[in-house]
Amino acid sequence: MKKVLEEILDYLELKVNYADIRLVETESENIEVENGILSSYRVLNNKGVGIRVLVNGAWGFAASNNLDKLSLLKTATKALVIAQASALIKKEEIKLAPEDKHIATYITPIVKDSFKVNPTEKIDLLVKATKIMLRDKVKKTEGLLNFYKIQKTFLSTEGSHLEQTIFTSGGGIAAYAIGEKDFQTRSYPSSFGGDYATSGYEFIEEIKLLENAERISEEANQLLFAPPAPEGIMDVVLGGSQLALQVHESCGHPVELDRVLGKEISFAGGSFLTLDKLNNFIYGSPEVTIVADATVPGGLGSFGYDDEGVPASKTYLVNRGEFSGYLMSREDAFKLGLKSNGAARADGWKRIPLVRMTNINLLPGNFEFDELIGDIKQGIYLDTNKSWSIDDKRLNFQFGTEFAREIKKGRLGKIYKNAIYQGITPEFWRSCDGVSKQEHWHIWGITNCGKGQPEQVMQVGHGTSPARFRKIQVGASQ
Amino acid sequence: MKDVNFWRELVKRIKIYLKKNDFEIIVIESNSELTRFAQSYIHQNVAETDLNFTLKVINKDRISIVEINSIDEQVLSKNIEKAIELAKISPKLDYHYQLVKPQLYKIKSKYSEETANFTPLKRAHLINNLIKEVNREGYEAAGAFKTETIAIVIINSEGVFAFDQGTKVDFNGVITKDNSTAYASFIDSDISNFNIKKITDELLSVAFKNVDQVEIEPGIYTVILSPEAVASILDYTAYTAFNGKLIVEGKSFFSANRRKKIFPEIITILDDPLDELTLPIPFDFVGYPREKIYLIKDGVIVDGVYDHLTALKYNLKCTANTLPPESASMGALPFNLVMKGGEDNIQDIIGNTKKGVYITRFHYVNVLNPMSVQLTGMTRDGGLS
Repeated sequence: MKKVLEEILDYLELKVNYADIRLVETESENIEVENGILSSYRVLNNKGVGIRVLVNGAWGFAASNNLDKLSLLKTATKALVIAQASALIKKEEIKLAPEDKHIATYITPIVKDSFKVNPTEKIDLLVKATKIMLRDKVKKTEGLLNFYKIQKTFLSTEGSHLEQTIFTSGGGIAAYAIGEKDFQTRSYPSSFGGDYATSGYEFIEEIKLLENAERISEEANQLLFAPPAPEGIMDVVLGGSQLALQVHESCGHPVELDRVLGKEISFAGGSFLTLDKLNNFIYGSPEVTIVADATVPGGLGSFGYDDEGVPASKTYLVNRGEFSGYLMSREDAFKLGLKSNGAARADGWKRIPLVRMTNINLLPGNFEFDELIGDIKQGIYLDTNKSWSIDDKRLNFQFGTEFAREIKKGRLGKIYKNAIYQGITPEFWRSCDGVSKQEHWHIWGITNCGKGQPEQVMQVGHGTSPARFRKIQVGASQ
Repeated sequence: MKDVNFWRELVKRIKIYLKKNDFEIIVIESNSELTRFAQSYIHQNVAETDLNFTLKVINKDRISIVEINSIDEQVLSKNIEKAIELAKISPKLDYHYQLVKPQLYKIKSKYSEETANFTPLKRAHLINNLIKEVNREGYEAAGAFKTETIAIVIINSEGVFAFDQGTKVDFNGVITKDNSTAYASFIDSDISNFNIKKITDELLSVAFKNVDQVEIEPGIYTVILSPEAVASILDYTAYTAFNGKLIVEGKSFFSANRRKKIFPEIITILDDPLDELTLPIPFDFVGYPREKIYLIKDGVIVDGVYDHLTALKYNLKCTANTLPPESASMGALPFNLVMKGGEDNIQDIIGNTKKGVYITRFHYVNVLNPMSVQLTGMTRDGGLS
């Protein structure tokens, strides 16, 4: 196959300013169990090629699942025709930030290949966990496991040749306590499908679904009869899982340079972190340092090279509160006179690389969790995302959580349901006066980050540990 | 795109590999092209050809699903064998899985040869017309313009063989100048119905009004929602309330309110593949023929929509709303959601409102409380007093 791809690249070489070809093969296994009964067992194999060309300073891209040489030549020709159409309406010649030629192989380090674990063992795990959770008002339980093996070949007219194999494992459980006019959900390790990592099956063993099933069920039952969260301005401690969502929406998206440059304005929106603010804006308090780091082991956004062939890297986005960096592709980095930091990612062979999050991590601080709580007279602890909404500049947000607990005189108290909180991004992060230590830090894997037209769904990571925010508007949904 | 005869022949060939197992096959083949523009130039321009072949093997209420995107004979035989083996080790369902029997289909997807053959160059020319016009007024344009052809094939071992092919044009655009913005969109099966001049005029007309904005105090207002804004709310209501699986599980406000009059009589909402403004498909993803289903009629809650699995499990009637296998665990969704129009025109509604806000569209809507369908979100591209 590599020889055919090289021949296609040779065919393109004299016709383009630049071209790259990505062959991507994805194997996946999906297991879903409801109330102790298998509801879906699916295996998937998907393979195709995406060809991207830059002709007369304009982009063209075509992708196909037909992989014989003739079909690939047709696909390459289609990409050229599309680029000619793009060139009809261009503002300036698209240029790419310089990048070295790379010839390398990257494989996710794993201990136990998830695809070699017997399907029966995986199904049994979810059957048991979902049965344990069925008690009292918990009438509905769900369990989910997903495994991916993604093999990528990247070739470019600049001479790069990269081979990557990315393994991903993850899943979770959820309990639904159902009353007459209300139901409450409690998920573990996180909501919307659980937690994910670039890892083998050892990640599933580490998250201990069975050991947490009873607690999750008990909390769902308690939530059903809990009072709604109180309304008012109060101190808040966000748990790691909810903080991952907070980082994602209010830092990860606004630092995407394509948004800043207006390329997403008709769909995802723009960003308040305009170019004039780079190295010139107080984003948060000195407690807040946020990095994009695709090199961290296990992060769902970890890889060897991005989908433009740029090596994975670590970039400070917010350094002790100061806004200090963007996520960039080669095209967008060129506009700032910078090199790409390896954040151009495609969700498969049939989509183009876009500026995407990798692992956007809030670095750990110096506090014990008990110290964060201990310094609050009257406040609230919020964790596990239930709802999210934020404006198209990523400033005004309102998020809801599955789980909330009163904080009174430095101690955790009663459980509340339907908690929501609101804020304005920089004001919120400037109110952060404590982030807990490394031992509370975890990289949460989020699998449902949507962007672009046609839409691409990306797997990204967020390293967080619980953190404290002062004087936040809190309330409850009805 | 492959025609109906291709799939008939393929099924004949692969039946030998399926042996005597019961099976369902779902094929979705697509050719899709999309041109994206921002700051008044084309910045992304893409095309994709793909095929999704899903095989469900049923062995005495043990089911496995294998999905591939190649119909190479060797790939097919290997994966059919894999599906047969996986079905043997799958735990048994807690209900009897029945295949759909052969059906008659009265509806056809809308197909336009001109849409199927529309070229990147033609899309670029139309976008250029819009850009030139709005640039003259000092605005920049952004948006996406998609043309696509999709074929769906449903086959099962009970004799169902359903084939359908349709086309779609999907355009959305935003224009911006300082704080003035406007949004417009168009969806149809036929590119000959697409009028870029009309879209441009609509964008400029809204943008000219959307200037010198003032902030309004948080509070309770009379709002008039554009059709686009109403559609956003309906989408989320479908997801949380109309889904039959959630209704039987007690997780929808429909669960305890069927046959109750909850809304004013002017509210009628249905799933209607026969409505001329929708893009229908003839069948759902197990082969049931699509039909008109009332969800709310004259303010009274009727019922939700049901997928094949939920219907079998709870002994209910499937309303031909079964989703593709990758979404099957979600339950069912309406495919052609329609809220019936009333007697008043928009000018009268505005004229009868002493003080209120007209909302053109919402941004980032999400569910705060699924049981009450309490939603949160922002307005975007113009709220007009």
